[in-house]
Amino acid sequence: MKSKILWIFLAIVLLGGFSTPGPTKSAEPIIIGVPTSLYTPFGRDGLNAVNLAVEEINAKGGVSVAGVKRPFKVVTADTRGGEPGTPVHDALMAYEKLILDKKPHAIVIGAFRSEVLIASMDLVAKYRVPQLGTIAQTPGFQGKFKKDPEKYKYLFRVTTDALIDAGYLSAALDSLKKDYGLNRIYLIPQDTLWALGFVGLLRKHCGKTGWEEIGYEPYAAGATDFSPGLTKAKEGKAQVIAMVWDVPLGAGIFCKQWAAMKVPSLIIGFVPPMAAPGAWKTLGKDIEYSIQVEFPVGASLALKKLPKTGEFLDKFHKKYGKLPEAAAVNSSAYDAVFILAEAIEKAGSLDPDKLVSALEATDYRGVGGRLRFNENHITVFNENPEETGICVVFQWQKGERVPVYPPFLAEGKILLPPWMK
Amino acid sequence: MAAAEARYRKKRLDRGIKARADTLYVICSYREILYLLLPRALPVIALLLLPLLLRGYWGKVLVYACVYGLLALSWDFLASCGLFSLGQSLFFGFGAYVAGILSYHLHLTPAITLPVATISGGLLSAVLLSPVVRLRGVYFAMVTLMLPMLLLKMIETTGLVGGCHGLSALAPFYNEWVAKYLALVALLVCLFGFRRIINEDYGLVLRAIKDDDRAVMSAAINIYWRRIQALFIAGAVGAFAGAFMTHHYQFVGMSAFALDYSILPVAAAALGGAGTFAGSALGTMILVPLSESLRALGGLRIALYCVILIGCVIALPEGIFHYMERKYHQFERLVKVG
Amino acid sequence: MSTLIYGTITSIVLALYTIGFSLTYGISGLANFAHGAIYILSGFTAWSFLNQAGLPFFLSALLSIVISGLLGFALYWGVLLRIRGMALSELIVTFATGVAILELLMWKGFYGIQYSLPLFVKGGVEMRGVAVDYQRLFVIGTGVLLVILLWLFVHHTRIGLAFRGIAQNERTALSVGIESDWIGALSLAFGSALAAIAAMVILPMGIMESAIGYEVLIYALAVAIVGGLESTSGMIGASFILGFSQVVTAKYLGARWMIIVPLSAIILVLIIRPSGLFGKFKEIEERV
Repeated sequence: MKSKILWIFLAIVLLGGFSTPGPTKSAEPIIIGVPTSLYTPFGRDGLNAVNLAVEEINAKGGVSVAGVKRPFKVVTADTRGGEPGTPVHDALMAYEKLILDKKPHAIVIGAFRSEVLIASMDLVAKYRVPQLGTIAQTPGFQGKFKKDPEKYKYLFRVTTDALIDAGYLSAALDSLKKDYGLNRIYLIPQDTLWALGFVGLLRKHCGKTGWEEIGYEPYAAGATDFSPGLTKAKEGKAQVIAMVWDVPLGAGIFCKQWAAMKVPSLIIGFVPPMAAPGAWKTLGKDIEYSIQVEFPVGASLALKKLPKTGEFLDKFHKKYGKLPEAAAVNSSAYDAVFILAEAIEKAGSLDPDKLVSALEATDYRGVGGRLRFNENHITVFNENPEETGICVVFQWQKGERVPVYPPFLAEGKILLPPWMK
Repeated sequence: MAAAEARYRKKRLDRGIKARADTLYVICSYREILYLLLPRALPVIALLLLPLLLRGYWGKVLVYACVYGLLALSWDFLASCGLFSLGQSLFFGFGAYVAGILSYHLHLTPAITLPVATISGGLLSAVLLSPVVRLRGVYFAMVTLMLPMLLLKMIETTGLVGGCHGLSALAPFYNEWVAKYLALVALLVCLFGFRRIINEDYGLVLRAIKDDDRAVMSAAINIYWRRIQALFIAGAVGAFAGAFMTHHYQFVGMSAFALDYSILPVAAAALGGAGTFAGSALGTMILVPLSESLRALGGLRIALYCVILIGCVIALPEGIFHYMERKYHQFERLVKVG
Repeated sequence: MSTLIYGTITSIVLALYTIGFSLTYGISGLANFAHGAIYILSGFTAWSFLNQAGLPFFLSALLSIVISGLLGFALYWGVLLRIRGMALSELIVTFATGVAILELLMWKGFYGIQYSLPLFVKGGVEMRGVAVDYQRLFVIGTGVLLVILLWLFVHHTRIGLAFRGIAQNERTALSVGIESDWIGALSLAFGSALAAIAAMVILPMGIMESAIGYEVLIYALAVAIVGGLESTSGMIGASFILGFSQVVTAKYLGARWMIIVPLSAIILVLIIRPSGLFGKFKEIEERV
């Protein structure tokens, strides 16, 4: 009897699963697909940003495609790429199911894990769906793109990549050296390609500008104990620790360990728990004076000199009741939807190839700055908001995140902690 | 004096048709021939016809299920020899990487890489596991659990063979249909092949090793060599599955050694019934579509999948296939006691 | 010096991860693959009591320990009893339970930097130039205390002696009136409660996330196997070996090899001495 009930239950579940709605043949809404790791802060806030943008556009009537106004519709799929142990094939199945079932006209946000992004490039190229990636930072994207630009032309990146973020921090390091004469640095990257590229660039810069490297210690992405590295930094009397990490687990442990071990060094880099708006509340004043980079602007910090960032964050706060959590890539998701809308209107159709040509000619002034693609389909970032996209470097001072670089955005100077003088 | 309450017990008897079908005279009657043939022919015909009926996404799910089915069959084969393995992903990963490397660096077609990956994957797994072939039970299981994890971390740390990003843009199959039917036919061949092997003399020795290895040793049979052979066969099947997936998705990464590939075959065997190869294959045919169909639920997908799995394993601890087999061959009735 | 201190801390952390797991396995032969999930679940439970119900930390911690124990008991009584003795099914069911718990936590939105338990006492001391915070000293203290308490419990209380009885010989214990179902359920309850206690002292040192569940399970398995699945002293010895080898590897070989250490250790130990370095040398059972 028990097993009979079980059979019936199983049958209902299977039938329910098989009867997923068929592809929407109605031409009315323009479908935006969001296959990403929805249960990570980046994925969740990215989706929130996309929904915010879609709401705004639909409120104005939608996007005009060859004279007909059509609304956007967002469909999601959880690729679970952010969880350890998810095989890439599994993530690709979710991607493919989204593409085959819901037939999106474009994909926004894209894969979270670099491995999945690289693998998904072939999939997206096969199904010819324009994709605007807004999370993964690996430079491997451009590397693969260059191998076959014609095949991968459907893929774009609307956000920074690790090398750009490193460039900003290098400038901050320069001013630390110039203003305060600091010159001993310890580098701790996460052992994934984007972080290695990031810190590798910082390392090269330090070598060129006369910094003394106390140590360079990549840690595996699943690391939970940084005491060896922190001890070495302390013993080597490093004045600055450069740390780049994205897995929340390790980052959180690092922050607490650094505070607990009382390592007298300034933290500089990208550690999401330290850079988030709520970090002061969670981690306390231990994080004061740490310098973090936010890429691109508007992801979580409102800047006085760039009112668009404030507008975006206000709207986000109003709709969702809190600011985005990660100090990265959220504004890219918002901008990507508008870029897509503009390209559709310019192309006058949803045909993938025409859309791709229109996207290549994008020139959009968004939250992240002026966004244009270069020949490798990545957005150009530099230091002039009138010309390119912008990132910002900020420092925690007295419970507030004060932008310190680039100069035109700065609302304060970099301060040294009292225990460093 | 109170009359004693009548008590009943369940009595199971073979069906009449089974009793008749067991003898030689089965060939005299069509009913009996069908009785024996249908359970074997139906799945074969159904499986061969399904690719024509399922297009697009569900066609891919079918291929996915066949690949997992191969892993489950190789698990079951090892279990029939007494080697309880929690590391099917080891075989899968070996096959996947050999095929990936051959395709990436030497640009060979699947027609060459698949056989090479199968054989070398089997050899690699047999060689790697031969030091631990003396272990029994849970200890062997632990080694097989840890080995793929170690290899995964090593690939991640050293960055060899593509490291974190893996090897992509590999050669696809010549034709979609070739791919689908290759997987299906491989599954069917393995299923019926293993059933045959285990009932032959060779398989008899393997089953004896499972029952009591010391007794077999005392019969002057080298059980270590037999076990290594079993590892080779199971490893080759697993490697074929890995190599197939590599070319099907045109990508191989360190997640080829993921825990998922080790656990799902075991879950399928627990669900479908370990010991009979049909049970494991049936288990994957249930679990993989279930997992895919639950995608519509988004976040709750894996949680619900696990709950269903737990429910099924508790309700039918012997496995679905054993239950079905019993119902097919036997009937029950209540018989008064005393 | 710092290697010594942080090696000790890492070792005690590993021992705390494992103590619940090896207790359950030693008594009822059940490898509880949901151990890591219960660990992190107790952390989130305490967080919910702390932040959403506004209870003080000690009360939240206590409540979440009790709840974990009850959960373990319910798991055994409701689910595992029916498949007792079938190793394959037990494995699948406990593992699936663990994964289901972790996935439910993620679905409910329990991820993000605000999920962090507060430290008991802030601040630290300096020992010969190495700064150690009070929380880590507390971890060491808790570890030592738990081992002592457990030893006393298992040797001097009725239930503890019943545990040892079942572990030694189930049939004989049954014939003396010790009910193996009840004791089995209690063993899982205790194992889960121990996991919760470990969580309460260790989790404040970092941020809580579901992925910790898998981590803890792997480490617990590693230590349990290397130390010998049934011996407590073996487990402690193994945790020290693994902890120190991790810290030493990080210091001299580089931190990226830190994760490889426990995995290679298990495999080596399993090849050479499958019963674990300190386990009873069960040659007949372990190898042919």
